[in-house]
Amino acid sequence: MKISLNWLSEYLKTPYSPTELADKLTMAGIEVEDIEESGSDIPDGVVIAEILERNSHPDAEKLSVCRVSTGTEEVQIVCGAPNCDAGVKAPLATIGTVFEDPDNGKKFKIKKSKLRGIESFGMLCSTKELGLPGDPSGIMHLAKDAKLGKKFKETLDSDTVYEVEITPNRPDWLSHWGVARDLAALTGLKPSFPKITVPSPAKKAEAGLVTVEDSELCPRYTARIIRGVKVTESPEWMQKHLSSIGLRPINNIVDITNFVLMELGHPLHAFDLNLLEGKKIIVRRATDKEKIITLDGKEQELNSSNLVICDASKPMALAGIMGGEHSGVTEETIDILLESAVFNPSNIRASSRDLKIMSDSSFRFERGVDWEMCKTASDRATALILELAGGTLETELVDVKKSAPISPPVKCRFEKIRKLLGCKVTDKEIVAIFAGLGLGVSDISDLGCVVTPPSYRLDIYREADLAEEVARIYGLNNIEPAPVRAISGGNIASDSYYKLEEIGNQIISFGLNECMNYSLIHKDRALVDAKFAESDMKKLKNPLSLELAYLRPSLLAQMLETVERNISRQNANLALFETGRVYCENSKLFPEERLEACIILTGLKNSERFSAEKKQTYDFFDLKGIVENFFEMRKMNCVIRKLDNTSKASANFANESAAEIVVNGKVIGEMGEIADRLTKGMRITHSLFAATIQLDTLISTPATKIRFKQIPQQPGTSRDVAFIADTSLEHGTIMRTILSSKLPNLESVELFDVFEDEKAIGKGKKSMAYSLKFRNSERTLTDKEVNQAHEKLRAKLAKVLNIELR
Amino acid sequence: MLQKLEKLISSVELKLSTVNDNKELEEVRIEFLGRKGQLPALTSEMRDLTSEERPAAGKALNQTKQKISSLFSEAEGKLSDLKGSDSTSGIDVTLPGRKQNLGSKHPITKIIDECSRVFRRMGFVVADGPEIETVYNNFDALNTPKDHPSRDELDTFYFDDGRLLRTQTSPVQIRIMENNEPPIRIVAPGRCFRRDTPDATHSMNFHQIEGLYIDKDVSLADLKSVLITFAHELFGPDVKIRLRPHFFPFTEPSVEYDFSCIMCKGKGCNVCKNSGWLEIAGAGMVDPEVLQNVGYDPEIWSGFAFGMGIERIAMIKYRVNDIRLLYENDIRFLKQF
Repeated sequence: MKISLNWLSEYLKTPYSPTELADKLTMAGIEVEDIEESGSDIPDGVVIAEILERNSHPDAEKLSVCRVSTGTEEVQIVCGAPNCDAGVKAPLATIGTVFEDPDNGKKFKIKKSKLRGIESFGMLCSTKELGLPGDPSGIMHLAKDAKLGKKFKETLDSDTVYEVEITPNRPDWLSHWGVARDLAALTGLKPSFPKITVPSPAKKAEAGLVTVEDSELCPRYTARIIRGVKVTESPEWMQKHLSSIGLRPINNIVDITNFVLMELGHPLHAFDLNLLEGKKIIVRRATDKEKIITLDGKEQELNSSNLVICDASKPMALAGIMGGEHSGVTEETIDILLESAVFNPSNIRASSRDLKIMSDSSFRFERGVDWEMCKTASDRATALILELAGGTLETELVDVKKSAPISPPVKCRFEKIRKLLGCKVTDKEIVAIFAGLGLGVSDISDLGCVVTPPSYRLDIYREADLAEEVARIYGLNNIEPAPVRAISGGNIASDSYYKLEEIGNQIISFGLNECMNYSLIHKDRALVDAKFAESDMKKLKNPLSLELAYLRPSLLAQMLETVERNISRQNANLALFETGRVYCENSKLFPEERLEACIILTGLKNSERFSAEKKQTYDFFDLKGIVENFFEMRKMNCVIRKLDNTSKASANFANESAAEIVVNGKVIGEMGEIADRLTKGMRITHSLFAATIQLDTLISTPATKIRFKQIPQQPGTSRDVAFIADTSLEHGTIMRTILSSKLPNLESVELFDVFEDEKAIGKGKKSMAYSLKFRNSERTLTDKEVNQAHEKLRAKLAKVLNIELR
Repeated sequence: MLQKLEKLISSVELKLSTVNDNKELEEVRIEFLGRKGQLPALTSEMRDLTSEERPAAGKALNQTKQKISSLFSEAEGKLSDLKGSDSTSGIDVTLPGRKQNLGSKHPITKIIDECSRVFRRMGFVVADGPEIETVYNNFDALNTPKDHPSRDELDTFYFDDGRLLRTQTSPVQIRIMENNEPPIRIVAPGRCFRRDTPDATHSMNFHQIEGLYIDKDVSLADLKSVLITFAHELFGPDVKIRLRPHFFPFTEPSVEYDFSCIMCKGKGCNVCKNSGWLEIAGAGMVDPEVLQNVGYDPEIWSGFAFGMGIERIAMIKYRVNDIRLLYENDIRFLKQF
C-alpha cells in the first residue's frame, strides 16, 4: 500500500523528517519498503508544452504528428499516445534530456529522430516515463493554466510516498487515517480528523429500499440517496492525493469514494440510482451460472457462493469486490445511491480468489473492516459529495444490520506480560500503552487490568495479543537481551544432521565437489535411471509446469545433467557428488523419502599436471577406490561385487562394469561406468563413472567402536605366488580361495602384478602374482613352516582354479 | 696403510679440481668409489692387516671415506653453482606440484553446517522431519487460518492424497513437540517448497533453518540473545540486529529481525536498498494456540521460534547475486567454496 506523507500530515503533523518517520513506521510494524520523493528524479529538460495542432502520420496509423509550443519555440513531435489532442498541455522532454531508468540505472537520451520517415524533436511524456503515479496509457494532461516553458519538475508539489507492507492481522492500517491513529499512539501526538457534518433530512427512508437476504454474508448494509448531483472533475487537492498514491482521478463522485477508501479504509460504492431497476437494492447469493459484466469489462459466471448486489432483477455489483459495468456513476448521473457495507471476510476472499479479481475493496473486506467505520465512511463521503458535487440528501441513513459484533474484554496480567517479553516494563507503562492505543482499560489492580479493544482492532482477543502491543510501543529494541541459558537440548546421538555433516566431510576429503539439484524433475529425465518406472515416482497434483511434475526417484539423472551442463561450459574434468533426498511412490522399492549420495567422475584426473600424468583419465578403479575409502573411513566393511545382469540397475552401466556395493551383507548402492543410453544426446568427452549409495542405513548404524590392536613385535616373512590363468578368472575368486584355505599365520595377501601378453603367455591368458605375508604374534616363524603353508596354497590354487603355476 | 689413504685423498682432490661437468665427476667417482675403484681396493687390503693394526687403520679408513665423500659433494656443489637452475640433475621447484583435487561443500551445505554448529554451541540439537507433510503439520497445527492464501494450490505443491510438500521447516516443530516433553531446544534445517516461478531471488525449492525453544519463562529477551549470538558468530562482532513487529499465525508477539547490512556497515547501499538493514527472517513467541495444539499448557510453558532462509544467508555471506547459481552446479562456482 502507498501512503502519501502530505496526505498523512492532514491528520497528524509530526516533527520528524521523512526518513525518520519511515523508521518509526517500520519499527511500529508498518514496514516501509520504499520511499519515493515525487518528481525528484525528473530531468530539467522536461518542460511544459502545449499541442497546437495534431495531424495523423501519413505512414503509421497509431502515430500522430503534432506541432508543439514551449512558449519560446515551436517544434514538431511524433507521438504515439492516443490522447495528444490540440489544445492539451503536457510535459515535453526536449532534445538533450537524459532519463535514468530507476531499476537498472541505464541512461537514455532524447535525440532528434525520425519515426517512420517523419522527424521528431522530443517526446511528449506519460506518467510512466516520468516515474509518476497515474494512468500510463497516454501522455499526461496538465492544467489549462500551466505556464508554458516552465520546468515540469517545479510545478510538482513535493511529497514523499511510502510503499508499506501491511501485515494481514492489521486491516486497520489500510488507510491514511488508520496509520495516523497508530502513529499517534507511538509518538504520543494527537491526531485530528476533519469534522464531518451531515444534514439530517426530514424524510424517513423508504421501506424496502434495501433487502439483505443473507445476513451471514452481509451483516451490515447502509445506503443513502443523494439527488441532483453534478458529476464533474474533482478538486485539485483530491486529485493530487489520489494521484500521489497511484490512483487515476475519474470524476468527483468516484474520486470521493476512492478518497474515503484510502482515507478511512472502508470501501464504498456509488450506484447511479436511475440505472437500478425498481430503484432498490437486494443483497443475495448469486444463482448458479448467473452472469455479470464487471467494471473491467469481463464477463463473470457466478454461483451460489458469490454474493451480489442486485436491483429488482439483476446483479449490479459483485459485493465487496467490483461494481458491474453499467452500475457506476457517469457524466450523465444525477441521482446516486451510496453503499457502505460490511461483508463476510472469508466469503469475499473465496469469491475474489475463485473469480480471480483483486481490488482495493476486496483486499480490505477479506481482511475484515471496522463495523463502526461503515457508517463513519458513509457520513464522510456524503458530506464530501454534498460539498463538492452538490445535490441533496434525500433520506436519512438506511442501515440494515445484525447486532454489532462484540469485542470481548481481554484479561491482562502485568507479570505475564513482563515474563513473555523479558523486560521490566512497569504496570503503569503497560496501562498507558493500552490507553494511548485507544484500547479501553478497566479493573486496574496490582495484578492486572481488563482491556476492551475498539471495533477496529480485530486482532486483539488474547493476552498474547496484548503482549505484542506492549512490545510494539515499548519498543522491541528497548528489550535487553538475556544471557543465553545453558541447557542442553539433547545428546549428539539424537542430532540427525551431525552424521550427514560428517559424511559430507568424508566425501569431500576425496576431492569431490558437492552439487545441489532441485527435487522436482521431468518424468523422462528421471526415467533415464533404469531402476525406476513412472509408477514408482511421486507425482505432484499441481506442478508449476509439466516439465517439473515429479519428485526425483534418484540423484543420478540430475547428476548426469549437471555433468552435461558443465561440459557444455567447457568444464570437462569433474569429480562431483550430491547428497539429498529422493522420493518414491512404490513402497516395495523404498519408503517415500530416503537419503542418497551420488558420486560421478569424468575427464582428466590430474588436469593441473603435465606430460603423461596429465593424460590420465578417471576410470572404474578411481571410483571404486573412493567408495572403498569412504567405508574404510567409517570403519565399515564394504564389498563390491558384480551386479546381476538381470537386475534393473545393471542397465545403467556399460561394459559389464555394473557392480553393487554391499555393506554388512546388505546391498546399499551400485556403481560402474555409465551406459551410453543414459548419455544419449549429451556432449560427453570422456567416460562417466558413477556410484549411488543409500545413506539412511549409514546414518542409523551406530559408529563402529575403535579397539586398539597390538602392533606386531615379531618379524614377518613373505612368499610370492605367481601363475598364468584365464583372463576370466576374477581377483575376487582368487582372494576368496586363498582366504578360505585358512593358512596358519597368514597375515595379508596383496596382488602385486597383473599383465596380459599374447606372445609371451598366450591368448586369453593373464599372468598374476600375489604376495603373502606370514607372521605369528608370539614367535619368529621358521622357514620350514612358512614353506609348507606356501606349498599347500600353491597346490590348492592349482587344483581349484585351473591355473598354471610359475 | 695410512700413507696410502692420505695419498688417495690428495689424488681425489687433484682429480676433482679438474672436473668440469657431471660426466667427468661421475668418471672420477667410479675411479675412486666404484666397485673396482681405489677406495674399495684399499678396503679389501684391510684383511691383510694384523689384528693390532686393524683398529687404527679402520678408523683412518672411515675418516678417509668421510673426507672423500665431502670432497665430492663440494665438487657437486661447485658444478651446480656454475650452472645455476639449468642443471639437469637439479629440480625445477617452480613446476606445478602434484596437488590433490580439493573437494568442497556446496555453499548451502556450508551455511547449514555453520548454523548448526553455532546453535549446537548454544545447546540446540539438530532435528529433522519429512519433506512430504500433512496439511495438519504444515498449516493447521501452526494456526494458519483455513482460508489463508498460503494454503492455496497456487502457492503450495499438493499430492493427490491431500498431503503436500512442506512450505516451511516449521512442521518439524510440531512433530518434535508432539513426541517430546519440554524443555525443548532444537533447530531444524531442511528443504522446503513453494510454487514460485524461478527467478534471481525465487526458487521452487529452497532451504530454511528453524529454531524452537520451549521451557518455563522463556521470553523475547531470550530470543534476542540467541539471535545476537547467531549474528555475531556468522557475520562477526560488528553486526547489529534489530527486531521489528510483524505478523505470523504461529507466533505472538511476532517479529522480523534484520542484521545491519554487512556490505555497507549500515550506511545504506544497493544490497540493503539504502535502508542499512538486511531482512534475515521471522521469529516470535510461540502462539498459545500452537502450544495447545501439541498439548502443552501455555500457562506453564512458553517459548520462542524463529526461521530463516539458508539461500538468503548464503547469498549475503558469499555475495552471490542470483539464487539460480546455487542450483546450476558449475564447477567453477562450486570450487570457490
